[in-house]
Amino acid sequence: MADNGTSSGKGQFDAAVRENRLIGERFYKLKLEFFGEGAEAFEGFRPGQFAQVDISGTALPPADSIPDELRDSAGRDVLLRRPFSFTDVTSDRGRTWAELLYCVVGPSTLRMTTLQAGDSLSVIGPLGNGFWVPEGKKTALLVAGGMGSPPVQCLAKMLAKDYPEITPTAFAGAKRAGDLPFEGRMDEVSREIGFVLKEFGRHGIESIVATDDGSAGFKGLVTDCMVQWLTGNSAPRKEMIIYACGPEAMLAKAAAIARERGIDCQVSMERRMACGTGICQSCAVECRVEGSSETVYKLCCKDGPVFDAREVVFSDRE
Amino acid sequence: MAGRVDISVEFGGVRLGNPVVTASGTCGYADELGEFMDLRRLGGFVTKSITARPRKGNPTPRIVETDSGMLNAIGLANIGLERFVEEKVPVLAGLGIPVFVNVAGETIEQYAAVVERLAGEGAIAGFELNISCPNVKKGGITFGTEAGLVKEITAAVKAACGGKMLMVKLTPNVTDISVTARAAIEAGADALSLVNTFTAMVIDIEQRKPVLANRTGGLSGPAIRPIAVYLVSKVYREVAKDAGVPIMGMGGIMTASDAIEFMIAGASAVGIGTASFVRPDCAVRVVEGIESYCERHGIGNIKDLIGSLEAG
Ligand SMILES: Cc1cc2nc3c(=O)[nH]c(=O)nc-3n(C[C@H](O)[C@H](O)[C@H](O)COP(=O)(O)OP(=O)(O)OC[C@H]3O[C@@H](n4cnc5c(N)ncnc54)[C@H](O)[C@@H]3O)c2cc1C
Ligand SMILES: Cc1cc2nc3c(=O)[nH]c(=O)nc-3n(C[C@H](O)[C@H](O)[C@H](O)COP(=O)(O)O)c2cc1C
Ligand code: FES
Repeated sequence: MADNGTSSGKGQFDAAVRENRLIGERFYKLKLEFFGEGAEAFEGFRPGQFAQVDISGTALPPADSIPDELRDSAGRDVLLRRPFSFTDVTSDRGRTWAELLYCVVGPSTLRMTTLQAGDSLSVIGPLGNGFWVPEGKKTALLVAGGMGSPPVQCLAKMLAKDYPEITPTAFAGAKRAGDLPFEGRMDEVSREIGFVLKEFGRHGIESIVATDDGSAGFKGLVTDCMVQWLTGNSAPRKEMIIYACGPEAMLAKAAAIARERGIDCQVSMERRMACGTGICQSCAVECRVEGSSETVYKLCCKDGPVFDAREVVFSDRE
Repeated sequence: MAGRVDISVEFGGVRLGNPVVTASGTCGYADELGEFMDLRRLGGFVTKSITARPRKGNPTPRIVETDSGMLNAIGLANIGLERFVEEKVPVLAGLGIPVFVNVAGETIEQYAAVVERLAGEGAIAGFELNISCPNVKKGGITFGTEAGLVKEITAAVKAACGGKMLMVKLTPNVTDISVTARAAIEAGADALSLVNTFTAMVIDIEQRKPVLANRTGGLSGPAIRPIAVYLVSKVYREVAKDAGVPIMGMGGIMTASDAIEFMIAGASAVGIGTASFVRPDCAVRVVEGIESYCERHGIGNIKDLIGSLEAG
């Protein structure tokens, strides 16, 4: 079974907040519920797709609960919507629930912490193209760097549910234990591969974490951890696929590792976005043109955010 | 349209069912916003800037948000004239509202060539001349800041229009906008649109570098609105009113009240730009708001609103 990772029917919908819960130092899980047409549209949400959320009308938290490093910039007004992907989307009889995992990094995400059950948010989506599953794959390496984990978590569930012939393994990396956006004590997790993260374990998927400073799991880059695993695994490279989301430098490394070994690789890219719907041209991703030395700009929001890694010219600028 | 109020306007020889139009570059080439609103409810549609050849645009970051606004340095990325004619013009023909193609280029010849190619397309009601883009090295704003050049390019393009309506889009990045407005009118502009974005910069203080790869960008959004309202009012009073040339006012319009400010200042039509990114159906909401304002104030014909600013 192959599918192309897209869904039809985007729109602007109101979603109800059902829960907003702190899960780590700076990480929150926000559960949204969609109704009617919104429920229908998001029922077709594909892992790796995203939504544009309007946070301009959401209040700031009280001054004393604003982290020091955000105090200066926190008061800035929010005008544009912000892009977020979802970790999980479920539907039942005309209602759809979507779980958003966010990290507090600036004025919008700081405002999001004050959302409470019953609040309403305007959401545009589902947007972009998600991950797709080419024919003949048996092994999937899911690589999540820092806040790149939401779409990878969503993909894990889909692979477990719809692709029994594929065995996924998850690699989650961050600078330090506190930057890993997962539930539970990260500083106590095993250094070995296993049912380490319950976000993957609940789908029967093994995982390993890596931190730059060794404060959780493997000490080193998540891509080095993946290379080690690949060295000890003799499965045909053609039957493997790497799915990666995270900082661009990590995506570039994952792409290089895949290329050297002849492994398919899909990367989920991030760009600053204004519209999210392919109109403003702000989210350009430089891409190679097959059989030519020229490059073109594709749009992260419309042609991506998931791209075939061979296509992307990674930049160090964003 | 609610029966009692006539909100249609005469705009440089083109009749708009209402004064609300999309601003160039913020609503796509044709029907991209069709999923979010019924485009037929708008007064008109202005396309993204089209150039003779496709343009890749600038490297990223191309945008950055600021308080109540954003900077963009897209660099006129667009599919180019040929693909526009093949893929978008047929779609525009089905929109059912007046369509204005925004045209940009590096030389006067390029501008004229684009207009000449499109002049025969029945789907197109007129053109908007973008001589105010601050984000390209050649062309764009360089044509819009000197009265002599404004005259020269307006006249050349007008001659290529095949009798279609020509609107000239002015930059606010000048000492006296009335001077360039006058130049455009003298050279045959049927309408003026203002404002394009203000050249601006945001600095990343950690790296002490501009955030945008292009270093500078154009500021748009609510942050510029009071300045844009002032400039529309100035051009209306000093130039356009007496010349009988209508103005399309824009800059930071988010609501119907904002649009009405522009109309009181002298705009016959208004453009919705940045707001469409936040609320893709913003333009239709503005139409509805203008209607109910007129009803509330007993205005039977919207013409009575245009330029109705009291001396005070
Ligand atoms: C397709 C997509 C999916 C995403 N999914 C998630 C998600 O599931 N969970 C999550 O927490 N975040 C996600 N993000 C990132 C999220 O959009 C940003 O963290 C959010 O916009 C920050 O908003 P803010 O107002 O809090 O901070 P801002 O002040 O807007 O940003 C904080 C800092 O990050 C920088 N920045 C902002 N946007 C970008 C960008 N696109 N690329 C590089 N630097 C940037 C800013 O310059 C600033 O220094 C996603 C982004 C994209 C493009
Ligand atoms: C992302 C972006 C792209 C734009 N592209 C164009 C363009 O291609 N041609 C043009 O004439 N104006 C362009 N503009 C300017 C707008 O049409 C408008 O004049 C300006 O943004 C002010 O209106 P606003 O504050 O409502 O956005 C662009 C503006 C933005 C924000
Ligand atoms: S964010 Fe507007 S085109 Fe991608």
